[in-house]
Amino acid sequence: MALPTVGTRILFFTGKGGVGKTSLSCATGLALAEAGGQVLIVSTDPASNLDEVLGTALTATPTAIAGAPGLFALNIDPEAAAFVYKERMVGPYRGILPAAAIASMEEQFSGACTVEIAAFDEFAKLLGDPGTTAAFDHVIFDTAPTGHTLRLLTLPSAWTEFIASSTGGASCLGPLAGLEKQKALYAATVAQLADPAVTTLVLVSRPEPSALREAERTRGELAELGVSNLRLALNGTFAAAQPGDAIADAMTERGRAALAGMPAGLARLPRSETPLLPQGTVGLASLRAMSAADIPVPPSLDPLPPLVLPGGLEALVAEIAAAGHGVIMTMGKGGVGKTTLAAAIAVALTRQGHSVTLSTTDPAAHVRDAVAGEVAGLTVTRIDPEREVADYRDEVLAKAGGSLDAAGRAMLEEDLRSPCTEEIAVFRAFARTVDGGKDGFVVLDTAPTGHTILLLDAAEAYHREVSRTQADLPDAVRSLLPRLRDPAFTRTLIVTLAEATPVHEAERLQQDLARAGIAPFAWIVNQSLLASGTADPLLAQRGRAEIPFIERVSRSLSPRTALIPWRSPATA
Amino acid sequence: MTKLEVYDPAMCCSTGICGPEVDPALVAFAADLNWVAEQGIAVQRYNLGTEPQEFAANPAVIKEMEAGMDRLPIIAVDGHIVSTGVYLSRDQLAAKLGLVQPKPRIAVAAGGSCCSPKSGCC
Repeated sequence: MALPTVGTRILFFTGKGGVGKTSLSCATGLALAEAGGQVLIVSTDPASNLDEVLGTALTATPTAIAGAPGLFALNIDPEAAAFVYKERMVGPYRGILPAAAIASMEEQFSGACTVEIAAFDEFAKLLGDPGTTAAFDHVIFDTAPTGHTLRLLTLPSAWTEFIASSTGGASCLGPLAGLEKQKALYAATVAQLADPAVTTLVLVSRPEPSALREAERTRGELAELGVSNLRLALNGTFAAAQPGDAIADAMTERGRAALAGMPAGLARLPRSETPLLPQGTVGLASLRAMSAADIPVPPSLDPLPPLVLPGGLEALVAEIAAAGHGVIMTMGKGGVGKTTLAAAIAVALTRQGHSVTLSTTDPAAHVRDAVAGEVAGLTVTRIDPEREVADYRDEVLAKAGGSLDAAGRAMLEEDLRSPCTEEIAVFRAFARTVDGGKDGFVVLDTAPTGHTILLLDAAEAYHREVSRTQADLPDAVRSLLPRLRDPAFTRTLIVTLAEATPVHEAERLQQDLARAGIAPFAWIVNQSLLASGTADPLLAQRGRAEIPFIERVSRSLSPRTALIPWRSPATA
Repeated sequence: MTKLEVYDPAMCCSTGICGPEVDPALVAFAADLNWVAEQGIAVQRYNLGTEPQEFAANPAVIKEMEAGMDRLPIIAVDGHIVSTGVYLSRDQLAAKLGLVQPKPRIAVAAGGSCCSPKSGCC
């Protein structure tokens, strides 16, 4: 079957970025509505494109989807939710406390954690309080990329535990102290999630090894959280209609091999397969095609108009190599191939005789896998949050714990268990890695968009904080943001695919970077079927649809563009 | 029962572990308050970020903040402000409260809020 079977009222779609969670949740919701149900689709992704896929402008309350009776959707924008939360906390004191006091309160509510919790609050209201969604037969959550989703899902138990065991009172819950009042709501949310009669979790994956590995990791983590009602939805399965085309054959083989090598835990799950479609999945008509039983046969194509396509990576690498040293960051939505490209650039720079460190802040990445074997002169490192947290705790206890009595030390250890410790620890590691770019090349395969922005945002806060305190800070931290903003030191490469949603999201990323004072060095359009030269009818039609996006990127979005042909990962 | 009240600047945690660097003064102060409480003093600590109502309800505290936010932290004993802009040492706290504290300690100036505003912790 093309879409997952639905046996519960609540459905979650989760998976690595770019696997098609939004498309599948919308197609599933549309099918349920067309069968006569009242269906609500909810997005909690800060980079959501639910509006675009459904063709209706959405808000934080259910909006009827034009052309689909019974289908409703809402978008929880965590930043907007955080703003409302901040106003609720600060607003009553305007005019009562001095302006400077109000400003310092507002600062405390501007961070990543407030955004995260405010979003979760909204999510808990929908899931934990039955009244808010009573009018709907089904509620479908199109959740954010995996790391974010998991944080969202693990938060209730983590925080419940934290609140319960916290004895110091004024602990690191800080601006979120109001959470305690929500304990019952969060407990109800967790109970709903883990109840197989109420909730189904759909793990969405492409038929590719890295996406399947990620799905397996999520499956394991969900099992630990007590969530057992899982489905696997394979999106974009492809088999060449007839053999002979190198690209189509490689894609067929890759899909076959990925499925054959699928982790056992995933293979046991009930599975649905949605075939690769010749067109994108924006709009209701395309969503209906996803649930169709037959793979649509593409019509014959007109001859290709004369085109000047952008070149490959070589010119970019040559220009970067000429600088002699610096930081290269590949950024973009998950699933666009940042890891593979970062590795390719690192290897190319190493081969030209440079000393190169390839590093990732993306816990989901497999940089090591992307570098086939050892390359002399190339160092591969990973910013591992768990290890960074452990190091940070040890450092703090060594530095501040020594002068404390047993009770003081216990209190400090308790605070170190708080959720903010990880953000701080990871951030320090990021600053350290960027510091390496003053001598050699550092290639950073950064985490998916939302998280990346938070990271840079954190850099900004650090920068401001650092300039006004006398605190004893490493040089690496003090010089981080100026370095990220220096085009001669840091070269940011935006990676995208030649499709509507990825280009749209990359544009948003570019705007976010502009706000942080960072101008990308180049865009890379990855995995192009057009550039691959395939003659397979379905793939060629998909390639043809890339043209307007490639032109848009190279003509109006980027000073430099590289176009990378689709390649089987084995040869990439 | 003697009452000790501390009006902290807006910050995310009172031990100071969530800033870019740990502020040892905050860590020590949190431990010292714990010790004070063990001596039978009623200790109340208010964070501007989370308990603004306590600041708003105290005209003397508002007056100090109007003079400058660097007056925080404000420490009050039984409703009377005894220090501003500094985290007192255990020794100084003991003196203000009339407690016996044999181990001498040195006061450290308050090092701003414990948590950088967008550090991801708040």
